[in-house]
Amino acid sequence: MTTLLSLRHVEKHFGHVRAVNGVSLDIRQNEFFALLGASGSGKTTLLRMLAGFEALSGGQILLNGKDISHVPPNHRPVNLMFQSYALFPHMSVAQNIAYGLEMEKLPRTEIRQRVDEILATIQLSALASRKPEQLSGGQRQRVALARALVKRPQLLLLDEPLGALDKKLRGEMQLELKRIQHQFGITFIIVTHDQEEALVMADRIAILQHGELLQCAPPREVYEHPANRFAAEFIGVMNVIPVARDGAKLTAAEGSLIRADIPDGMGGDLVAAVRPERLRLDAHACENRLSGRILATAYHGLDLQVHIETPAMPKPLICRVTADAAEARSFRTGDVLSLGWSRADTRIFAA
Amino acid sequence: MQDRKTLILIAPAFAWLTAFMVVPCLLILALAFFRRGIYGGIDYEFTFENFGMVFDPLYARIFLKSAWIAGLAALIASVVGYAAAYAIASMPRHRQPALLFFAILPFWSNYLVRTYAWIVLLNREGLIVGIARALGFDGELPQMLYTEGAVVLGLVYNYLPFVILAAYAPLSRLNPEIAEASRDLGAGGWTTFRRVILPITLPGVATGFIFVFVLSIGNFVTPALLGGGQFQMIGNLVYAQFLTANDWPFGSALSMVLIAVMLVLLTLQTYANEHASTGRQSTERADG
Repeated sequence: MTTLLSLRHVEKHFGHVRAVNGVSLDIRQNEFFALLGASGSGKTTLLRMLAGFEALSGGQILLNGKDISHVPPNHRPVNLMFQSYALFPHMSVAQNIAYGLEMEKLPRTEIRQRVDEILATIQLSALASRKPEQLSGGQRQRVALARALVKRPQLLLLDEPLGALDKKLRGEMQLELKRIQHQFGITFIIVTHDQEEALVMADRIAILQHGELLQCAPPREVYEHPANRFAAEFIGVMNVIPVARDGAKLTAAEGSLIRADIPDGMGGDLVAAVRPERLRLDAHACENRLSGRILATAYHGLDLQVHIETPAMPKPLICRVTADAAEARSFRTGDVLSLGWSRADTRIFAA
Repeated sequence: MQDRKTLILIAPAFAWLTAFMVVPCLLILALAFFRRGIYGGIDYEFTFENFGMVFDPLYARIFLKSAWIAGLAALIASVVGYAAAYAIASMPRHRQPALLFFAILPFWSNYLVRTYAWIVLLNREGLIVGIARALGFDGELPQMLYTEGAVVLGLVYNYLPFVILAAYAPLSRLNPEIAEASRDLGAGGWTTFRRVILPITLPGVATGFIFVFVLSIGNFVTPALLGGGQFQMIGNLVYAQFLTANDWPFGSALSMVLIAVMLVLLTLQTYANEHASTGRQSTERADG
C-alpha cells in the first residue's frame, strides 16, 4: 500500500513544554488510523498540526510526498471533524454542508447535488432545513461528518468524534464510521482517549505518551504485545505482578515461580503481566499459578469479574470468568481461589 | 411557596418603578391631551392638538434630524465598538477583564465633565488646534466645536462602552472551533469573519446599536454643549417646552412620541435577540 502521509520528527513546543516530541509516522492510503493517548499526551496537538492550526516547532509533514508543514488550513486537502462538531449555528444543516463546497466556488447545481447525495448517505435528508440546535447529539455528529466528507478530502481527521455520544450510540457509530470510511475510500485519522474505540475501529493504533510515540501497530499486536508497561496498562485491563529476578528465574513476592520469556537486554526491576481473560480456574494444569482471597465480584452480564487479593501484588488480581463458568460455581467474598495461566500468555516489562 | 418568595423579592423594585417611573409617565401622557393655558398654565380641556403639532414640518424636521444624528452616532459606535470588542475577545482570557475595565473606565467620571473635556479639545484655541499649530500647520482650520460632527463625536464617545460590552458578550462566548471549522472548510480570514463570526455575533451589536440610538435621540446635554445651540435635537425641544416655553402639554406630547419610538425599537431588538442563534457550543476539549 502507498504512503499518504508522512510525519518526520514532528515537534511542537509550548514554552518549555514539549507537547509533541519527535514523532515520526507513515500513514497509508485508505487506512483507518487511531492516535491513542491520555490527556496531555499530545494527540490533539498532533492532529491540529495535521489540520494546519498549529505551526510546527520542528520536523516535517508530507502529504503525497509534498511538504505541507507551512500550508494554511484553508489550502490543505485535509479536513477536520471537530470535537465540539463546531457546526455553524446560524446555518441550516444543508447550508452547513454546502459551505465548504461554496468555498471551492463550485457551480450551484453541483453543490446542491453533492449536498443531497451526502445527506442521503448519512440519512438526514429529512432534516436538511433544520438548524443545529434542533438536532440531537447523534444527528449533529453526522452533520459534522458530512460537512467534512462532502469536500472529498484526501485525509479526514476526527477529534474524539464519538466523545459526546452515549455509550449505546457510540457502539453503533463505531461501525458506521468504519462503513463510511470504507465506502468513501478516504484515509481517516482519529484521535481518541478510548482504547476500546481504537481497538474496534482502527487498522493501526499509535499510542502516544508525553508527546512521544510509544508504539504503532495493528490492534491485536498492541493488545497482545504492548511495547512497555504503560501501553500494557493503558490498553485494556492488565494484571501486573512485581517479580524478583535471579538469572532466568522469576519469583513473585509470595514465593511462587513465574515462568515467562524474558526479552533480551531487559534489566532492572521487572514485572510480569497477564490479561484477566487469560487467567484460568483449573490452576493445577497451568505453568503459572497464584492464589488469594476473593475481595469482590462485579457482574457484567457477559462475564463476571473477580477481584482477588494476593500477597504477590499491591493491587487486586482481576480475573474474568465467563457467564457459564460463573453459573457452575459460586464466588463468595472471602473464599480462597487459585488461578493459573500459561507461560505464552505472560509478558515481561521493566517496572 | 416559590411564588411568594418571588413576589417578595420583586416587590420593592416593582413598587419603586411604579411610583417613580410608571406614574410620572402616565401623568405626562395625560398632560399631552390637554390644552396649553394662555399664560403658560394648563387648561383641562381634552384635545389631540399637541400630537398634531409634533408632526408639523418644523418639529418633524427636528425629529428626523435627531434620528439622523442618533443613527450616525449609533452606527459609528457600533463599528468602532465591535472592533474593540473583537480585539479584546481575541486576547488571552486572563487579560480580558482588565481590558474591559479600561473600556468602561470613562463611566466612572461625570457625564458633564467628560463632555466639557471635548470643548477643551475642540475649541478655536483648544488642544487640537494647538497641536496642529505646534506641528507647523498655519492654514485655516475648520470649525470643530459647535457642529453636528462635534455632537456625533460626543455621543459616540459617551456611549461607546455600551457597544463594547454588548458586542463582547457573544464574541467571548463564541466557540473558537467554529472559526477554525470555517478555515478548515476552505474559507480565508475575511470570509470566515463575514459569513460566520459576524452573523453569529450580530445580535450583540444590534443591542449596542439600539442602546446608543435610544440614549442619543433623547439626549439634550451633548447637543447643548457641543452643538452650542446651533441646532436642536428632540431632547432640547422637550427641555425648552418644559423650562422656557412653558408649554407642558406640547412637551408631554413630544416625550410620548419619543418614548413610543424607543419602545418599538427595544421591542424589535428583544424579539430579534430571542430568535437569533447564539453560537454557544461546548468549548471544552478532552485533551491538550
